[in-house]
Amino acid sequence: MNPHTTPVLAISLALGTTITISSNHWVLAWTGLEINTLAIIPLISKSHHPRAVEAATKYFLTQAAASALVLFSSITNAWATGQWDITQLNHPTSCLLLTAAIAIKLGLVPFHFWFPEVLQGSPLMTALLLSTLMKFPPLTLLLMTSKSLNPTLLTAMALASAALGGWMGLNQTQTRKILAFSSISHLGWIAIILVYNPKLALLTFYLYTIMTSAVFMALNKIKALNLSTILTSWTKTPMLNATLMLMLLSLAGLPPLTGFMPKWLIIQELIKQEMTPAAMAIAMLSLLSLFFYLRLAYHSTITLPPNSSNHMKQWYTSKPPSTPTAILASLSILLLPLSPMIHAIV
Amino acid sequence: MSPLHLSFCSAFVLSGLGLAFHRTHLVSALLCLESMMLSMFVGLTMWPIENQTPSFTMVPIIMLTFSACEAGTGLAILVASTRTHGSDHLHNLSLLQC
Repeated sequence: MNPHTTPVLAISLALGTTITISSNHWVLAWTGLEINTLAIIPLISKSHHPRAVEAATKYFLTQAAASALVLFSSITNAWATGQWDITQLNHPTSCLLLTAAIAIKLGLVPFHFWFPEVLQGSPLMTALLLSTLMKFPPLTLLLMTSKSLNPTLLTAMALASAALGGWMGLNQTQTRKILAFSSISHLGWIAIILVYNPKLALLTFYLYTIMTSAVFMALNKIKALNLSTILTSWTKTPMLNATLMLMLLSLAGLPPLTGFMPKWLIIQELIKQEMTPAAMAIAMLSLLSLFFYLRLAYHSTITLPPNSSNHMKQWYTSKPPSTPTAILASLSILLLPLSPMIHAIV
Repeated sequence: MSPLHLSFCSAFVLSGLGLAFHRTHLVSALLCLESMMLSMFVGLTMWPIENQTPSFTMVPIIMLTFSACEAGTGLAILVASTRTHGSDHLHNLSLLQC
């Protein structure tokens, strides 16, 4: 690839995200979404491998259809009400169309099939971009229209996301697919609180971004694409593996770590809104995803199975430590005591 | 619902159904995407005429520009996937399924 391509793509990604999150007009928001989609496709299909090209094809088809649906819902709204303001999406049909379109863009459950396959076909750092930065603009649109969305539909989609994300991740051995299903179940947690407390949904997304970036960067450091590579990597980077275990438990939401904070606040808010059955259901469904996080955590530490391993031991090579990984790992482990401050800032 | 509104809405819905249910060739999926974009172009052009807002007449051109970029990317992906998978049949894209 031409060396000038990567900066152009990075600037386009930043530009598209900024346009969408700062716009107040539907056409500008759609423009930002289109710029984002067009800029990430060369990053997915950078290696001209059949799997990468297939991932780019699937990503392009779903995202193009979804952004067309976003624009169509806003056109319907404009023909009915005569204005293009994002925050005033009043027409009921366009609300439903927008919910479906954003669900396709994010990978919420009835429309989630593209997401694990695209993640599996792209490199680890592109997968990190796809599961964090690419979800931010559609989520912003959903936050800005959250007053007029249908709460029953969103709660149903959220519970289905948490259930299927946990359930389909159980029999995966590829780390990118496991992280894709973990992303789907975290989106369920974001979508269930979206109508009732949009600030809390944004806080959940920020914390999920921090935790999953730390996990992706650690996996990229040890070049672990499946579970057996993680199993033998403790000879290579022992400290990073111990930290990876803590980061995975934080992603699962266990109490002394950061990941517990959004789950705690969301369950509290749901009980305040008298939605105790939904809170109980989503808390129980997160146990499903806890199972595969625990399996990854077993493999990342020295907890080997008692039989002889078929895999080659990897050499210990001294590599320079990576500062962003260290910062993100500390944030994803230690933020729980600061939760009142973070909750007040967001 | 005016006849104009009905015509571009039904064009969008029909091409969307074509994209969703006619899943043999990648070319036909791209053509369905293009016809979705064209029906929205009609909707965007007619909106300022119906509402007497001439300041909005720039927007259909912007939308058409981006849909042309999208069509170009789609054709590039068509060429790439035909070279790697042998044909443009969508059922060949099954390397990544779990």
